[in-house]
Amino acid sequence: MLVLMLPAILVVFTLLVVPMGWLFWQSLYAEGGFSLEHYRRIFSEGIYWNTFALTFRISFIVTLLALLMGYPVAYAASILPQRWAMLVLALVILPFWTSVLVRAYAWLILLQRSGVVNQTLMASGITDAPLPLVHNELGTIIATVHILLPFMVLPLYATMQKIPYDLMQAGASLGGSPLHVFLRVFLPLSMSGVLAGMTLVFVLCLGFYITPELMGGGRTVMASMLVSRNIQLYSDWGAASAVSVVLLVCVLAIFYVVGRLISLEKILGAK
Amino acid sequence: MNHKLSLGRILFIGYVVLVLLFLILPVLIVVPMSFSDSRFLSFPPSSYSLRWYEAFFGHAGWMSAARTSLIVACATALIATPIGVAAAYAINASSHWIMRYLKIVLLLPLIVPVIIVAAGVFFIYALSGMLHTIPGLIMADVMLALPYVVTAVTAGLHGFDKTQEMVARSLGMNRFRSFMTVTLPQIKPSVLTGAIFAFIQALDETMVALFISGGRNQPLTVRMFTALRDEIDPTIAAISTLLTAGSFALVMMMVLARKQTPA
Amino acid sequence: MKHNRCMNVTLGSSLLLGAVLVSSQSLAAGQITFVSQGGAYQEAQTVAILDPVAEALGITIHQDSAPDAWPMIRTQGTTGQAVWDVVDTPPFHCVRGGEQGLIEPLDFSRIPNAESMPDEYKTPYSVAYEFYSSVLAYNPDAFDGNPPQSWADFWNVEDFPGNRSLRNHPLGTLEAALMADGVPLDELYPLDVDRAFGKLEEIKPHITTWWTSGGQSAQLLYDGEVDMVMMWNGRVSAIIEEGASADFTYNEGILQNTHLCIIKGAPNLDTAIEFLNAAIDPEYQANLPLHIDYGPGNPAAFDTGKISDERAQELPSSPENAALQVLSSYDWWTSPEGEEAERRWLGFMQQ
Repeated sequence: MLVLMLPAILVVFTLLVVPMGWLFWQSLYAEGGFSLEHYRRIFSEGIYWNTFALTFRISFIVTLLALLMGYPVAYAASILPQRWAMLVLALVILPFWTSVLVRAYAWLILLQRSGVVNQTLMASGITDAPLPLVHNELGTIIATVHILLPFMVLPLYATMQKIPYDLMQAGASLGGSPLHVFLRVFLPLSMSGVLAGMTLVFVLCLGFYITPELMGGGRTVMASMLVSRNIQLYSDWGAASAVSVVLLVCVLAIFYVVGRLISLEKILGAK
Repeated sequence: MNHKLSLGRILFIGYVVLVLLFLILPVLIVVPMSFSDSRFLSFPPSSYSLRWYEAFFGHAGWMSAARTSLIVACATALIATPIGVAAAYAINASSHWIMRYLKIVLLLPLIVPVIIVAAGVFFIYALSGMLHTIPGLIMADVMLALPYVVTAVTAGLHGFDKTQEMVARSLGMNRFRSFMTVTLPQIKPSVLTGAIFAFIQALDETMVALFISGGRNQPLTVRMFTALRDEIDPTIAAISTLLTAGSFALVMMMVLARKQTPA
Repeated sequence: MKHNRCMNVTLGSSLLLGAVLVSSQSLAAGQITFVSQGGAYQEAQTVAILDPVAEALGITIHQDSAPDAWPMIRTQGTTGQAVWDVVDTPPFHCVRGGEQGLIEPLDFSRIPNAESMPDEYKTPYSVAYEFYSSVLAYNPDAFDGNPPQSWADFWNVEDFPGNRSLRNHPLGTLEAALMADGVPLDELYPLDVDRAFGKLEEIKPHITTWWTSGGQSAQLLYDGEVDMVMMWNGRVSAIIEEGASADFTYNEGILQNTHLCIIKGAPNLDTAIEFLNAAIDPEYQANLPLHIDYGPGNPAAFDTGKISDERAQELPSSPENAALQVLSSYDWWTSPEGEEAERRWLGFMQQ
């Protein structure tokens, strides 16, 4: 059986595990020997500190927004009759199959100063002057939520679908109002889906590159951009590796903690 | 009471519809943009033309990028599917403790942030002379596609009754033949799903390709990324309309394949 | 039986694939990969220079574009895996790259067209290709007859309200900041980097977008995303021609040029040198101003009779226009101070 595993393992091993080990080693290597210099720099220099703070802030906001937007959609899909549920899911999955680049392009059209959103806002009298919706952190967040929302909805739906409808009816027949039943029965039972979705979105967001690069107006520098610039602009593998290792440790720690509560396959299975 | 309930329900439905619009509108808006006559981003376009489709099909650079992408995506599906199926079969057949860990290793490409994957692959390729080559792109995409293939096929094997293969083997077939004649036809939909996932994954992959491709072997996504960053070139809208239509067709194929053979 | 067919298909497609891979690599003769900065400028030089040169030499020119070629020059030079041959980039990249072993030194005996060029248009690693200027461009509709005319105006957010954009790169931007701070044009170099970043700190909150490529700057002004922007003069002219409401001034413009240089270990070195020589041929060079408002890198182009006197007057490098501007010093940008200023930029953007 191990022979059958070998080709797949070999590919992942040479292209992923080995370079990760090398990155780890690079991050500890400076001036000809073992050194924590790169880590000291990360934790003391404003550039790195600011970038990590920004990365975590954006990831939190994106995760929260995705939950607020994704939960009701998944709930609707789980209680609607099959035909409607399929439609809702199809609408969630369709953008999933559209290139991230294309969606960034679409958001530029929608959010720019003379774009559709600003025109609508001004025509309806909500604002007098166009709002700065893109080329900044806000634009980055909007586009990132759009890209990651399906990663929230799908695990949520997978969990909710398994909650037996009888249980809800039983709650209702015991005299609970629909809201009461929802809060006391449905919500707690859907928590593992919430956890899976939040983990997935948060972790994907931590490593995001394309939307901040294209929508951030040059000043929304997230951790992944720091890695890429250190490699491509300065050939500074030490700094790039240290940032990568910190990022990776954060991700693995999150997976480890969440993995104690729900299985790893459950988080990733919905992808 | 009843009235209040329906008001709440209307608000709820309204909210869900809004979120769905948020999801779908940006995907749809690209289609009319692709027929715009202007090179700038005004929406709705003031006049319509096919100039961006002409720009795509008539430009050697775009065409060569499209060819690179297709070659890479086909090769990725052709390579990732058999080795992914083999791995999934092994995971399913063996109950050895090491399998659980090996399975996690195979899921790593999904867990590790893609920027780190990109940096690592870039480093390995810089050492081995695989930078800016098509085989390099293919191998990286195979690695990234493996988790999808393994997950899809493991799910398929899960619903398959192992004893059937046992029977075939007891009739004297070797393991490989019994797999090919008994098991494979029954898990075909999930293998196909895995292959399509691998194909689309490779077609859509941007981040790693940004690091490891260059010169004449750039895939479509890398060209699109630079065109978007550098020019906000509406040719992207035309390409994306084609791509969306293409992947939509693939998804439909997948759904149909599922319908034909209920797993 | 069925699986057999399946295997055959797989085998067949892999063979086909192999054939495609091999054939795409065996086309090695008489071609180069040429890299410039995309957009209107790259389109103009394709018609003016690249296509005629390709025809004359019987070679194929593959084009690539990069708004900032430096990261790729570094990557290709340090990994020893060049995919580019000739790069059109600011001279300080060529010289710095040359000094770090990333750019081929040029054998001028094989570049006869460079002979007549003034010495200041050549470096050991590169020759001048074209002249352009980083100018203050604006949307006249936003200023009601009183548009900004200097970098001091650009920095003056009270009298000239509006959305602003600068390039996400220190080259030219530091010069503009110092001019806004009152440094006379002839005393700019060596740049007072601390003072320049201090002045940039002032305008930073008012910058809507830091653009990364010429095409993006054009897009921003055309779409009304910004009201004033420092951008390349040829890009402004291009969108004015497309009907945009835009204008610019040469006053306090930063006159720059780009050079052609060859990546160390370029895959098509010989063809690259042949191409480089042809690309600075006065005849082809004289075509460039006919397609975009950029001046030829080889001054001999003015003697070909192709460029009318009126046209010459409009170019950024004409004596009249040049007098209003400052000539960018590649010497300074090649120096360690210049390199340090470039490094400092990323930190500045993130604070």
